[in-house]
Amino acid sequence: MPEFANDPEGDAEWEGLLQQLRHQPLAQPRPFFYGRVQARLAAETSRAWLPGWMRRPAYAMLVGALVLVLSGDDKALASGTIPPAASAPIRR
Amino acid sequence: MVAPTLDAEVELVAQLQRGSEAAFRTLVDRYQNRVYRTAFSLLRNPEEAEDVAQEVFVEVYQTIGRFRGEAALSTWLYRLATSRALKTRRRTQTKKRLAFFTSLLGFRNEVLHEPPDHAHPLTLLEGQQQFELLLAHIARLPDQQQVAFTLRHEQELSYEQIAAVLGTTVAAVESLLFRARQTLRKHVQPPFRHA
Repeated sequence: MPEFANDPEGDAEWEGLLQQLRHQPLAQPRPFFYGRVQARLAAETSRAWLPGWMRRPAYAMLVGALVLVLSGDDKALASGTIPPAASAPIRR
Repeated sequence: MVAPTLDAEVELVAQLQRGSEAAFRTLVDRYQNRVYRTAFSLLRNPEEAEDVAQEVFVEVYQTIGRFRGEAALSTWLYRLATSRALKTRRRTQTKKRLAFFTSLLGFRNEVLHEPPDHAHPLTLLEGQQQFELLLAHIARLPDQQQVAFTLRHEQELSYEQIAAVLGTTVAAVESLLFRARQTLRKHVQPPFRHA
């Protein structure tokens, strides 16, 4: 049995707190809320042509990296380094 | 605020489904405060509540075509607002936890986690502070209990309306509210009790 059962004084305190909760100053959005919703809707619509997973930066970067690797640019980049013969020690 | 009649609501939904911008504006004007307050009561953060309220109306605009009227429009809006608010809260908590661990690992010098509150419970149990304590414990309730409690005691919804929002029965709502009150009363007790 909870401690507060049959406790008129505690009940009154509790009811007072609930009243306070009910009568808090009413929160409301800042003015021109509709305008901000419209702006957000327009932003969502303009990027709707992209698939959902592409809108995440991590996935977009992964796709970019994959395209780079598959396009063969990595080979071109590797060939730009010092050739093995040039870096071999000179034998006398 | 006077609740719109069922016919007016059905007509509003029909206009929305036809893509009427005037109807969308009416919807936002009519429900923005309720949606915002519902989100705010679960998040206690004006920026996050605004964000959730915007998301709710964007989702309504985009998915109104699929609304078949099984529930009242207001019920659907409360449902969207509560589920999105809880999702936002979970995301914020995850970020806080991550920030706490990165600060422990010393990646950044700044203290990113919430500094612990060293105030003794006795000092919190006075006037406004007791109310703050109540809010803090409401935020720690399990999701379903918190939604039921705030919809009942802040939005003043009936048990039937809360059951519709949560997709459950009135008996289940009664049980959720009973458990929520029991937990809260255990943690928020009058100061003389501790003397």
